[in-house]
Amino acid sequence: MAFLIACPLCGPRDAYEFRFGGEDKGPRPATENLTPEAWCDYVHMADSRFGVQKEWWYHRRGCGTWFTIYRDTVKNIEVSVKDLEAGK
Amino acid sequence: MFLKFNRLWKETPLKSSYDAVIIGGGLHGLATAYFLASRHGITDVAVIEKKFIGCGAAGRNTAIVRANQRTQENVPLYKEALDLWPVLTQELDFNLMFYNCGNLNLAHSDAALKAFRMHVATAQFHGVDSQLVDAKQCKELVPALDISDRPRYPIFGGMFHPPGGIVRHDAVVWGLAKGGAKLGVRLHQGTEATGIGVKNGKVAWVDTDKGRIQTTKVLNAAGAYSAGIAFNCLGQRLPISVLTIQAMVTQPLKPLLHHVVSSGAYHAYANQTLKGEIATGAHMDPWPNYTNQSTAHYIKHQAEAIGEMLPCLRGVKFMRIWGGLADMTPDMAPIMDGNVPVEGYYLDCGWGYFGFKSATVTGKYMAQYMATGECPEILKPFRLKRFEEHRLMGETAALVDYTANN
Repeated sequence: MAFLIACPLCGPRDAYEFRFGGEDKGPRPATENLTPEAWCDYVHMADSRFGVQKEWWYHRRGCGTWFTIYRDTVKNIEVSVKDLEAGK
Repeated sequence: MFLKFNRLWKETPLKSSYDAVIIGGGLHGLATAYFLASRHGITDVAVIEKKFIGCGAAGRNTAIVRANQRTQENVPLYKEALDLWPVLTQELDFNLMFYNCGNLNLAHSDAALKAFRMHVATAQFHGVDSQLVDAKQCKELVPALDISDRPRYPIFGGMFHPPGGIVRHDAVVWGLAKGGAKLGVRLHQGTEATGIGVKNGKVAWVDTDKGRIQTTKVLNAAGAYSAGIAFNCLGQRLPISVLTIQAMVTQPLKPLLHHVVSSGAYHAYANQTLKGEIATGAHMDPWPNYTNQSTAHYIKHQAEAIGEMLPCLRGVKFMRIWGGLADMTPDMAPIMDGNVPVEGYYLDCGWGYFGFKSATVTGKYMAQYMATGECPEILKPFRLKRFEEHRLMGETAALVDYTANN
């Protein structure tokens, strides 16, 4: 279960040092003309993909940095951007 | 004594069309199929399961059942679920081994006792037997507890819920599968749902790795996998985080725990199985994933928690540990809905770690929903739209640290 996450400042560390910060949903939607549906989608909804997703993490028991990584939810390991671009 | 045993159900080839298709051969899927066939005469039902029935949460939960939840929408549902165990044992002619030993929740602060006071009031209002007990009564119920002020979290009192207990989870899987199959339900194990076909805004077929099934009704009851399936098949996004939850059992011991004991402060629950093992668990790995991996991290946590809560268990060895998946919603209440986003598509998911205790009653009402097209009154508060309407249920008083949502 436990796996390593590469913190941009501290390098690879035990996943239990970090807090999961949710799927990367892009920027917060603009307040103007915001519908309840769009807001709900941003706040609550998730893709829950089988496979690689981009997501936020926070180095809670470390340097306190927020950053994004790619992770395979089926294998539960971090996937590097290089591997992704090279088609895994 | 050595009679030839027949199989509980027959394997049949996949037909090209069914009246209803249920994705997921777990307890919710099997129960819905059983009730569709037994209560509504809809017997041409296929239950498709990617692996084997009961392989997911149905065979991984810690088998605890209770009806002392927090909100008025949830309690009646779980109460009916408790009342159903003896009924189904008779009806299915299958021993579900319902052992209503009662559940004792420990409070380790005045605040926790006040919270229990509200739980108890809600339960009693709905006719569920639940009482506040003081520390001395806790000790009488479970003599192994240390009620002195020595433990890390001394016991202030508790909430005792006599009708709760344990049910043999595999027996429920087999009983429902057998009962459903007898009435015409077809179980297709090793069959993965790969797509849902939509025509004119209505469900038209379900694609599987074994071929296409024409149908007008499909239920997504794939447990923790339902969110991923909803996204893959229909692009439907759900407010769900799928987290791994771990549980473990100790070596078998002489009977010492006659009730299910749980504690929020230690974050642990324990019950003694009929084999004598202490089954315990509670923790979730705090990031979404689809693995069933377990970790040394939680064996250590559980050993510390159980050793404090029940000091006589110190030094007892863990025999097995396993992980299962829980699909958590932000308000810890499930999502049961129909005809969103397309007609004929039904949804029963987001049960988190309440999926076992609710399976049979949910099957009953989801079957009614699918058969009549009318949402039963008891399911209405659980619609998906509640998140958009900001009508989240208060099943959890405050989002806790281990959910991915705060």
